[in-house]
Amino acid sequence: MRLALSRPAAPLLPLLPALVLLPVLLVLPALVHGGGWELIGQFAWAAITPSRDPLLLQSLLQGLGVTAGMALLGWALSLALGLMLGLASSRLLWRELCGTSLPAEAIRRLLALPRSIHELIWGLLLLQLLGQRPVVAVLAIAIPYGALVARVVSDLLDALPTGPLRALRAAGAAAPAALLTALGPPLLPGVISYGGYRLECALRSATLLGVFGLGGLGNELLLTLQSLQFQELWSGLWLLLALMLLLETAVGALRRRWAMPGRFGLRGTGPRRTGGLAEAEVGRRGRELLLAGLLLLPALLVVGQALAVQPAELLHWQPLPPVAPRGWADALALPWPGLVAGTLTLMLLAAGLAVGGAPLLLLLVAPWPWGQRVLQLLWALGRLWPPPLTALLLLFVLKPGVITAALALGFHNLGILGRLLLEGAEAAGPAAEQGLLAAGCGPRLALLYGRYSGLARSYLAYGAYRADVILRETVVVGLVAGTGLGSQLRESLSAFAWDQLAVLLLAYALLTLVGEDLSDRARRRLLGGA
Amino acid sequence: MVRMNGPSASTHHTSPPLLELREIQVPGRSRPRLEGVSLELAPGERVALLGASGAGKSTLLAVANGVLAPERGTVLWQGEPRARQAGRRRRQQARIGTLWQDLRLIEELSVQQNLNAARLAAWGWPRAVLNLLVPLESEACAMALQQVDLDPTLLSQPVTALSGGQRQRVALARLLRQQPSLLLADEPLASLDPRLAADLLDLLLRQAAAPRALLLSLHRPDLLAGFDRAIGLRAGRVLFDRPSHAVEPALLAELYAGES
Repeated sequence: MRLALSRPAAPLLPLLPALVLLPVLLVLPALVHGGGWELIGQFAWAAITPSRDPLLLQSLLQGLGVTAGMALLGWALSLALGLMLGLASSRLLWRELCGTSLPAEAIRRLLALPRSIHELIWGLLLLQLLGQRPVVAVLAIAIPYGALVARVVSDLLDALPTGPLRALRAAGAAAPAALLTALGPPLLPGVISYGGYRLECALRSATLLGVFGLGGLGNELLLTLQSLQFQELWSGLWLLLALMLLLETAVGALRRRWAMPGRFGLRGTGPRRTGGLAEAEVGRRGRELLLAGLLLLPALLVVGQALAVQPAELLHWQPLPPVAPRGWADALALPWPGLVAGTLTLMLLAAGLAVGGAPLLLLLVAPWPWGQRVLQLLWALGRLWPPPLTALLLLFVLKPGVITAALALGFHNLGILGRLLLEGAEAAGPAAEQGLLAAGCGPRLALLYGRYSGLARSYLAYGAYRADVILRETVVVGLVAGTGLGSQLRESLSAFAWDQLAVLLLAYALLTLVGEDLSDRARRRLLGGA
Repeated sequence: MVRMNGPSASTHHTSPPLLELREIQVPGRSRPRLEGVSLELAPGERVALLGASGAGKSTLLAVANGVLAPERGTVLWQGEPRARQAGRRRRQQARIGTLWQDLRLIEELSVQQNLNAARLAAWGWPRAVLNLLVPLESEACAMALQQVDLDPTLLSQPVTALSGGQRQRVALARLLRQQPSLLLADEPLASLDPRLAADLLDLLLRQAAAPRALLLSLHRPDLLAGFDRAIGLRAGRVLFDRPSHAVEPALLAELYAGES
């Protein structure tokens, strides 16, 4: 392992994934079709001349409110679900309370299925089952997110040092009290940090669900794009950007206030051992958290009322259409190798573009003081912009296919990884880079040698995690750009072919579970070998 | 300000001083970190910078290597002010070599890659990237290691595998690889045991023959022997600047007298 990673050396590692640019750039000219450059120009111009029609803004704000509300409700529900399920799937907890960890294993396995299926598919499935109702989007977010939170919570819990717990138990404390006292406080920072990150994700997911007609701003974005009303589109986008940046700032501030570790092991894997916190500090955090929780509950109720979310609607199922004769045989006769290969290619290209693209772009703009600001804006737009919309926009000038889909998906994830890269660069510290600059080294090489060396492993570890997320997300652009399992899924959905759908979902789940396992191994190796 | 010309400063006036500071002012929180500091460093001079912690030694070195721009005052390197144009500025920086207190080795790279990092100012991208893939300029690197009494077999080692004393020497070898004319060192002996400290100081002094010059901040006045001149900093001001043999115990006592 050490050999494999010591050559090429650390600073180059974050850039290696960018090698996928070569084949992409090679193929790209052949994909360009004549028509749409004028439209792209109009689109770009509209960015600085958005519509300021008060009626439009009012309706956009309303849509934004719905999107934010869906995100908040889905997130809160997923957090509650995830915490419960996370505790229920912790090996340690079961061992302490019942003497066996078998139930934990069983629950873990069960949770793999809801986790492996993207929230958009949950949304579309629930849409078919329940019809167009506000509760659908909330549930679509809550189910996969809940399962994801559960996994993170149980992983964090099982990775905690058990020494304090043993000590309490040996002193005669009952299991529940000992668990709460010994594991509660060290678990908290990790959970809150991850919870904040999930809220940011929930806003992106809610926007995406809107694009597919589940309510909120997303749908208006899609309609304005399809009707080429770019100025109206940009009004919505800027509003959404403002909300997203506000949320990210607030989450970041709260994370710092409550002494959060960097997310996903940029500063080591497990939750940081907060040794030096003064007593008053700990008390303050607890009180503030309690207050925040108490304020959140009525807020959730109000939002639920405003969105007319009615949990009772979950009971009104629509009957499924009958399965066609020979349906199962047809399902098995789908072109599986092609579908799977398409999905994997899409994932690899998009992951390479996103993981390698961010450090490459940062290097390119290194000499210019305003370069990083421009990149930050571009990356914020990437995070905000749902990949299907990017794909639609790209289709103005590119032919549909795996490259177009990969560009759309890559751009979105580039935004997420870029932000993380900057956080990592900040954490790596300026000393080495400054030393190189003082010795006359150019700004790009100083950044490469001085900063990328230190952040390479943790950044790539996050990249591995992101590749796993991208695999899940392939279905999102596949639905639009016609590649991989996603495109077939769309056909089966619109044809109500439940048999095909079931097999497709199974294949998709299997693929993402394998991907998750591989990405976990890669992360452990990258972080463990440091 | 007290400003006495050292003996060599008056004899070497054919070429401009390698470093000249005039009336440098750097503001600080409660009092200026540097106030009205002036000094000159002629080729071949080895100058020690003395002073208690917080007297402004590190700040002065940061001004001298261009990392910190003073609020007021002039810095001249070989008679020239800080270049405006980026390329010229880089060439100017490449002639200033710094031995950092925290060494600033790149922990993830091998000894050889670290030594070659000193050449990045002169190298273009192809060689900079190649350095991360294959061993480059092994002979020059081995020679740099030999100059600091290290075994060339260390070249392939990661710097994390070295001892503290070895790391100091690798940092010095990297400085030599840079081929600077002005050598600056910020407390390079602080974390070394007496024997290692004496060895390293000896190496540094040997490297600083004309046309080079050395400015080194020192926390131990007992090691002054090899220096031509000593400059005493107290509370951001130059207390004395005189030949090192003329630094009397009374002067030192005043320099380190309780900070208030």
